[in-house]
Order: sequence, then C-alpha cells, then structure tokens
Amino acid sequence: MATIPLASAEAGAERARLGMWLFLATEAMFFGPLFFGYVHSRLADSAAFASGSHHMHFWLGTINTAVLLTSSFTMAISVHGKERIRGTLGLTFVLGAAFLLIKGYEYGSEIPEVLAAKGAEQVFYLLYFAMTGLHAIHLLIGLGLVAWLFLSAHGRRAGTPVEIVGLYWHFVDAVWLFLYPMFYLLERYSA
Amino acid sequence: MKTLVLVWVALLALLAATAASSFVPLGGWNSAINLAISCAKALLVAIFFMHLRHAGALLRLVAVAALLWLGILFGLSSADFGARTISPAPWSLRY
Amino acid sequence: MLYAAAITTFFFVGGAAATLIRLELATPASDLVSAETYNKLFTIHGVIMVWFFLIPSIPAVLGNFLVPLMVGAKDMAFPRLNLASWYLYVLGGIFTVATLLAGGVDTGWTFYTPYSTMFSNGAVLLAVCGVFVVGFSSILTGLNIIVTVHRLRAPGLTWFRLPLFVWANYATSLILLLATPVLAMTLVLVALERFFYVGVFDPSRGGDPLLFQHLFWFYSHPAVYIMVLPAMGVASEIIPCFARRPVFGYRFMAYAILAIASIGFLVWGHHMFVSGQSLYAGLVFSLLSFLVAIPSAIKVFNWTATLYKGSITFSAPMLYALGFVGLFTIGGMTGLFLASIALDVHLTDTYFVIAHFHYIMVGGSVMCYLGGIHFWWPKISGRMYPEGWGRAGALLIFFGFNLTFFPQYLLGWLGMPRRYHEYPPELQLLNVFSSAGAVVLALGYLLPLGYLGWSLFFGRKAPDNPWGATGLEWQTASPPPKHNFRDIPEVHAGPYGYDPAR
Repeated sequence: MATIPLASAEAGAERARLGMWLFLATEAMFFGPLFFGYVHSRLADSAAFASGSHHMHFWLGTINTAVLLTSSFTMAISVHGKERIRGTLGLTFVLGAAFLLIKGYEYGSEIPEVLAAKGAEQVFYLLYFAMTGLHAIHLLIGLGLVAWLFLSAHGRRAGTPVEIVGLYWHFVDAVWLFLYPMFYLLERYSA
Repeated sequence: MKTLVLVWVALLALLAATAASSFVPLGGWNSAINLAISCAKALLVAIFFMHLRHAGALLRLVAVAALLWLGILFGLSSADFGARTISPAPWSLRY
Repeated sequence: MLYAAAITTFFFVGGAAATLIRLELATPASDLVSAETYNKLFTIHGVIMVWFFLIPSIPAVLGNFLVPLMVGAKDMAFPRLNLASWYLYVLGGIFTVATLLAGGVDTGWTFYTPYSTMFSNGAVLLAVCGVFVVGFSSILTGLNIIVTVHRLRAPGLTWFRLPLFVWANYATSLILLLATPVLAMTLVLVALERFFYVGVFDPSRGGDPLLFQHLFWFYSHPAVYIMVLPAMGVASEIIPCFARRPVFGYRFMAYAILAIASIGFLVWGHHMFVSGQSLYAGLVFSLLSFLVAIPSAIKVFNWTATLYKGSITFSAPMLYALGFVGLFTIGGMTGLFLASIALDVHLTDTYFVIAHFHYIMVGGSVMCYLGGIHFWWPKISGRMYPEGWGRAGALLIFFGFNLTFFPQYLLGWLGMPRRYHEYPPELQLLNVFSSAGAVVLALGYLLPLGYLGWSLFFGRKAPDNPWGATGLEWQTASPPPKHNFRDIPEVHAGPYGYDPAR
C-alpha cells in the first residue's frame, strides 16, 4: 500500500473517511445486541410481537420511511454536487426534522397502549422504544451536523466534511430500513 | 447524478414492495421477504450513496467486518438457543 | 501523561479494595467487613480494575505515546479525539466514584441479570453509566490507533516492518471497536429493564437471562485479549532488546496476534458451561477455546527461542517481561483445565478460576504494563529510574504475586467458592498465605510509585537510547519534541535488527 504524504488534503480526507467507516462499524455493533435481543424475544413469543406490531401506525411508518429515503437522496446529491449545495442540504434537514416530528406524534399516540401491555408484548414495546429511540437520537445528532454544515462555510461547496456527515446520515437511514419491517410489518394481513 | 435518481426510485419501489407484501399471508416467508428487501435497500444505500462502489479495499473490508462480527454474535448465540432443551420452572409459565 | 495519572489513581483505588478483600479472608469468620460490604468491595474491585485499569492501561498510556513514535508519525491521526477520549475516561471515572459514594453496587463486575435488574439495591444505574461512558473512551482510543497505523506510517515502513508492539495494539484496537459497543448496548438494556421494570432478561416476564450472558461475554471474553495482547506486544519489545537477539519467527508472532484477536471472539460460551446453555453449544465453545491455546503457545515458544543463545541482561524491564512469560504460561495452561467442560463443571466459580484469570491479568497485563513503563520511562520522562530499586520492585512483585495467587489454585481445587466472605476453618492456612502475599504485592506496587516519582525530579538525565534498542522511538530525543521527530524518518529494514555478537 502506498503511503500518502502527511500534509496533503487528500491524506486528511482518507484519514477522515477511514475514521468514519470504523466508527460506523462500531455503531453497527452497538445496535447489534438490540437486533439480537429482538430476534431472540420474537422467536420466543411471536404471537405477542405480532399483536404488538398491530398497534403501530402502518401508514405513518411507511410514509416516514419514504421521507427518510428521500432525505438520504438529497444528502447524496449534496455530496455529489460541486457548488451551491445549500438548497439540498436544507432540504435534507427539513426531511429529517419531518421524520422526527411524525415519529414524535406516533410515540405520543402509542403511550396508552404501551401502558396496557403485558408480558412479552412489554418486551416488544421496550425494544421498539429502545431501537427507534436510539435511532431518533442518532438522527437528532445528524440534524445537528447538517445544520452546522448549512450554516458554516462548508455549505457552499461539497468537500470532506459534507462527505463524512453524508456517510453518517446514510448509515442512520440504513438502520431504519431494518427497523421498519421489524416493527411495522408483522402479520399485517391479520390486523 | 442520473444513478442517484435511479437508486432513489429503486429504493421507493422496494419500500412499496415490502409494505405490500406484508398484506399477503405467506407464513415465515413474510419475514424472509422483508429481511431480503431491507438488505437490498441497505446495500443500495451503501454501494451508491455511501460510495462503496468507488471505495478502496480497506473501506470495503471495514464495512464487511462489522457485518461478519454481527454474524458471529448471531450465529454462535443461536447455536445455543437453537439446540437448547428448555425445562420450564413452574413459575415461568405464569405470564 | 494525563492518562497515566488518572489510571494510576484508579489502580490504587481498585488495589485498596483488593487488599481489604484479602484482609477479610485472612480468617474464616466474618470479622473485618460485613457480607454486604464484602460484596460491594469485590464488585468495585472488579469494575475498576477491568474497565478503568486493565483495559485502558497499555493501549491508552503506552499505545497513545508509542504508536505514533513507532510508526514515525508526528502525532496520532486525530489528536483532538484522543483528548476527548481522556475526558470520557474521567467522566466515566466520576460516575464510578459517585457509585461508591451512593452506597456501592453488589452485583459483581459481571452485572448478571436478573439480579442486577430486578433485585439488587445498589447503585446499579450509576455504575452502568460509568462503564458505558468509559467504553466510549476505549472505542475512540482504538479507532485512533487503527487509523494511525493505516494512514500515518513513515515512508518505507511496510506492515511486516512494524514492531510487534504496534501489531498488538492494532489487534487490540480491532477488538475494542468490534466488542465494546456490544457491551455498551447490553448495559443500556440492563438499565432500561431496571428502570421500566420490563423483562428482556427476566424469565418470569417473557425474557431470558442467558441472552444477557451471551451478549455480556461476547464483549467480556474478547476483553481478556484487550488486556493481554498489548502485554504480549510489550514483552516482544523488551525481550529481544535485553537478549540482543531478533525476535524469533517475527511473522508468526504477527499472525499469532491476529489469530488470538479473532479466535478470541469465538469462545465466549466457555463462561457459560454450567449456565444452562445447550450441551452442543458448550461442546463447540469448548473446542474453539482449545484453539486459542495454539497461537498463545506459538508466542511463548518464540519468546523462549528468542532468549536462546542471547546475551541476556537482567534489567528491571527484562525481569518484568520474563515474569510475564512464566506467569502467562501458568495462567494459560490452567485455562485449558477450564476449557474442558467436564473439569470446568467442578471448578466453576471456585478460586481456581480466580487464580487463573489473575495469572493472566495481573501476572500478564500488570507485569508487562510495569515492564513497559520501566522500559520506556527514559523516553517518556527523559529521566532514568534507579536500576537497583527497579530490580528489587520487580522481584518483590513477582514473589508477592505468586504467594497471593498460587494458594488460590489449591483452594479452588479443594472447592472453595468465590465471592464468599466466610469459609470453613480447614482452608485457613492457604488463605493466610494468600493474604500475606497480598500485603507483599501491595508493597511491591507502592515501590515503583515511590522511586519512579522520585526519578521524575532527581533521576539522572536519560540519553536518547539508553538500552541500545532498535525501533524508531529511540531515534528521537528523550523526551520526544512536540512533533516527535525533527524530520520524518525513512525505514529501510525490519524491526529487531539486534546483533547477538554485541
């Protein structure tokens, strides 16, 4: 492997890229126990999980997935673009915020059902709140980063910071892609 | 740019597919389809949005390593849970 | 240096708890502390020693300083991240001290559920917060080391020209990155379960306590290698230097490090042989556990082969390193007993296990940490430590250690269980030996603290390369200037170019 001279900007970008990917690897491991806990608990009592899932808002969840996918799309355009990326960055921020607002509304409407839950259905809800909540915290951090890009000079043209934040944003999006069917789509046909 | 639009359209199409499939009773296949579609979507995001297509071997290795290690966690733990004889205590039948 | 100060503090807090435990165990009856206090003592001893001393000791103190020097870089890849990692360490430490002030925890360092989630009255949430935060500190350190090794190597420094210390820290960092997050999230689940009273791990509420054990040991077994791999790296630097011979089988040493790091992830189930996991899984885990012995044995053979026909100087670092090899071998061999299911059923939760992992962790990691501190002390501080005192300290620690922990093997074999503050009177003789050893060991640890502190102010000024060692870190001033090297060095040969004739 060729060693890159220390001072160049490309070396800095390479370092940052590797650092971010390694960080995302730890993030994947961080979510790991929750995913495994989900698999294990669901296999133990799949009926309770299905009935828990029927309390979820199918349409809100689906729309939210589309919102998040689109925000990833606008983020990708920002990274791809050369100049004047402030528009797509702003759009990314708005879509991310919209996702959180919808999610917050869902949370609010689910509380009574959660309090009534029993046994393994409680486990379903605990995992639901833990996983989507952790995802929401990540998204909130992502929103902060995008806002920082938007307000600072980095928002004027694509560069390493935009690319690195983009990697993080897409990862958070990818986590949701798994959460969505796990919680919203269990035995929908029998709901 | 054109690729990005295509990927976005593909992602939304896959979302529609996974949502629709959940209304068809297929037993265990429902989960399998959902998982497969989620993996496909995540791969699209990783390969195109996260530039793994143009990334060097090292970055790809990092991306794969995390998945491999999650596989170890899932695989060996399931090796226990799958083969275990459960002898429930009287009180664990309560809930 | 910030790390060194903070970690030393925690080492002595944890050590004080250990001394109290041994003092209580000097007599069969419960007299010095109550049962409850005893439980809190061994918990805090475990938590602090594992997460606040053993795991960060070598990578954070020596690694952060030496890895950039050894790869010929100006600094770590992300210097600010490094500082952030230190702040997280201190924050985690504050949580842990707060746990002590809030009355302590009595769950043991393993936080086994459902005791930790449903029954324990201690400050479990605070303790879990402390471990969670310090976990992120380790992750950031690991990330920094990996990027540094990948991206900042000096021109000509190829992978197989890296010193084994760098290899060891690199492999350790990989484990830190891949295992620590799993622990962090598992502890979050424990906290959530405790807080909301929902049972992911509680069988009476539809959960499974073994799920916790799997997730916990998925981290905590590789964590053993986080502690011992850097120690192996230190030994691999010291032994060739004072034997004046190149490391025997360098490539195999590097491969063995990677093999230990990866196989270490496949063996966690051997902590659960008697927990009710399936017999088939137990068999698989037992077999995989035996596999770890192969690369470990390769390393021991190669260190020994390095010594063969060397011209050996028994300086203080060398004494520590040789002590490490011996103690690690004993610790490793007794590990094989525990890897066999049939024997393990007899020995689980006895003092045999305690002795085994203290031979690996204290006999392994702490010996090498101290050896490394002595070896690189001239480079770190720019002063020489007093050699006579250094040798005396090393011998005292070696003697005290064996006196403390060897009787525990016998106690365990006789069936004395761990984590009890009382025991039958016929076991008193061995317990008295062990407690006496603990006092010697405590004195042994105070000794370096004293003379190293003294040498900081009054020690002889150190030359750039007092040991005549190879390695890039010895080619710069002692202590190194702000950016480590005046000019970035170029490397034309592999490490350990020692000539036996000289």
